[in-house]
Amino acid sequence: MKGIIFTEFLEMLDEKFDPELTERIIEKAELPSGGAYTTTGTYDHKELVAMVVELSKETEIGITDLVRTYGAYLFGRFVRLYPRFFSGIKDSFTFIEGIEEVVHAEVRKLYQDSKPPMISAARKGDNQLEVIYESERCLGDAAHGLILGCLDYFKEEVEIERENVEDESGKRVRFLLTRAA
Amino acid sequence: MEPDVLKKRLAREKMARRQAETLLESKSRELFLASEQAKKSAQLVKAQSKQIQAVLDHAMTAIFLVDENEKVVRANRLAELTFEMSKEELLEINFFDIFADEVREKAHGYDAVEELDKDVNASSTSIESMGRKKSGKTFPIEIAITQLDLDEKKFTVWICRDISHRKEAEKEKAKLQLELSQAQKLESLGTLASGIAHEINTPVQYVSDNGHFLKDAFTDLITVLDAQKALLEAAEAGGVLAEQVGAVKKSEEEADISFLREEVPGSIEQTLDGVSRISKIVTAIKEFSHPGAAEKSLIDINKAIETTLTVARNEWKYIAEVETDFDENLPQVPCLPGEFNQVILNMVINAAHAIESVKNDDLGKITVKTHQVDGKAEIRITDTGCGISEENKKQIFDPFFTTKGVGKGTGQGLSIAYASITQKHGGTITVESTVGTGTTFIIQIPFAEAQTVKEAV
Repeated sequence: MKGIIFTEFLEMLDEKFDPELTERIIEKAELPSGGAYTTTGTYDHKELVAMVVELSKETEIGITDLVRTYGAYLFGRFVRLYPRFFSGIKDSFTFIEGIEEVVHAEVRKLYQDSKPPMISAARKGDNQLEVIYESERCLGDAAHGLILGCLDYFKEEVEIERENVEDESGKRVRFLLTRAA
Repeated sequence: MEPDVLKKRLAREKMARRQAETLLESKSRELFLASEQAKKSAQLVKAQSKQIQAVLDHAMTAIFLVDENEKVVRANRLAELTFEMSKEELLEINFFDIFADEVREKAHGYDAVEELDKDVNASSTSIESMGRKKSGKTFPIEIAITQLDLDEKKFTVWICRDISHRKEAEKEKAKLQLELSQAQKLESLGTLASGIAHEINTPVQYVSDNGHFLKDAFTDLITVLDAQKALLEAAEAGGVLAEQVGAVKKSEEEADISFLREEVPGSIEQTLDGVSRISKIVTAIKEFSHPGAAEKSLIDINKAIETTLTVARNEWKYIAEVETDFDENLPQVPCLPGEFNQVILNMVINAAHAIESVKNDDLGKITVKTHQVDGKAEIRITDTGCGISEENKKQIFDPFFTTKGVGKGTGQGLSIAYASITQKHGGTITVESTVGTGTTFIIQIPFAEAQTVKEAV
């Protein structure tokens, strides 16, 4: 997993909680990297999972909620860090449809060893979009949070139905987004 | 922020910086290696492209790569040469402009081979069509088309071969086969004519003998009739045997003896003359169709020409009158009799055709002269025909060159004559001609070999 996911997570901890908590979590999670991340480096995603688990213990907030909150936070950061991906995009469906072809394609250009999740999107009508998340990391909650961040950015009212596909491992998650009539 | 927290952060940031530096170095190295690899790949691609172009340019066929919009994407050197266009011009045109107008529409429908495998038979997939050069000149081409996909786009490869020479050779072969079959037919006719001539000779001989017998007999009968006339006149004058005299005179009148006296000698003469001509023609046919000797022999060329003129009479008698002016003292000439006769026959037939082409109601004239000149026998065959232009004069002895209409000339007569006189008789054959006035062919054959050649039988 790319380092930016970790650095932004630590940024969020500092911002939403406090630096002391951040340091405690890093210590308790016993991270192989020692919590030293660069945005361009590549790290084991389990380190993120370990930090989330520790954060949940510290704050007594559910892991699902924490990951989803981080997803939404991360989306906001992406908007600020990579404005070119949003230039000319008027709605959430159009942006989500372009994730694989535009955003992930760009990621693969910069980091040939990266393995971003597979995001496929298909319109089911004028107001419906089916989004399939697929990744060995099973971070469907992060994807959910990113979708929420996206809807918040475009200021759209969209209902999200979510279900695991094939099994409950969370490797494949289906989101059906329906715009409010 | 607590100093302890700050210390921890500082330590982590240092670690992160080291990671970033290591990563940067590693990426720089990767970039350098990738750049080197890219350079090598570019050089390889360039070299391969050069190699492919060189192969294409040295291919003995015109090759075009054509896209879906009928544009030429790539063309080789022979494509430029074959269609007389520069590479730039070829890349500009619509590909189908290389076809002749009459086949362009059809060329759009030519089938391409979609997959090349071992079962593809090149000859079964080639198409014959007509190409068009930049100058507008059309020429026969053979095409093979294959289809290919490159970068999700469809292309066709057109391999075009100029088959003008092959077509010309096929035409010449067909012509030669026709000539061969004609020659075989003529040979059979010659053999047949020789046999017929032999068969005619015997009855002609006894018709001639009997004619001479009748001529002599009638002369004798005239003597008898003269005596009988004197007797009748004496009997009448003496007034005796009036009844018998009357009966004889009546029978004389009934038989129209006076008419017979006048006409019979002429009829017999005409018959003998006709038979003599038949005999002459038969002899000429026998001589002319005599199997060609492999060795030269001494021949009387005046006689040989006379024979040929007789045989060819049908070719000229309605077109021209033939005049001969033979040097009676001409020595015998070493010749291949069959070939010499053939040369003279070709010349006389050509002369007749030249006169015929003028389309004049009056008869033309063919003159054949022989005489000695500088140790050679010279034969001049002159006609009052159309003449030969300066341009055509250079080509008349070339094989297959003819200005005659379809079915009339094969373009071989003069070429065979030239080869025979110059190569087999050590002589020369030249031409003097004025367009609209006529032509003279001059053949010279040396006597030099005369001593070593046996006299013709």
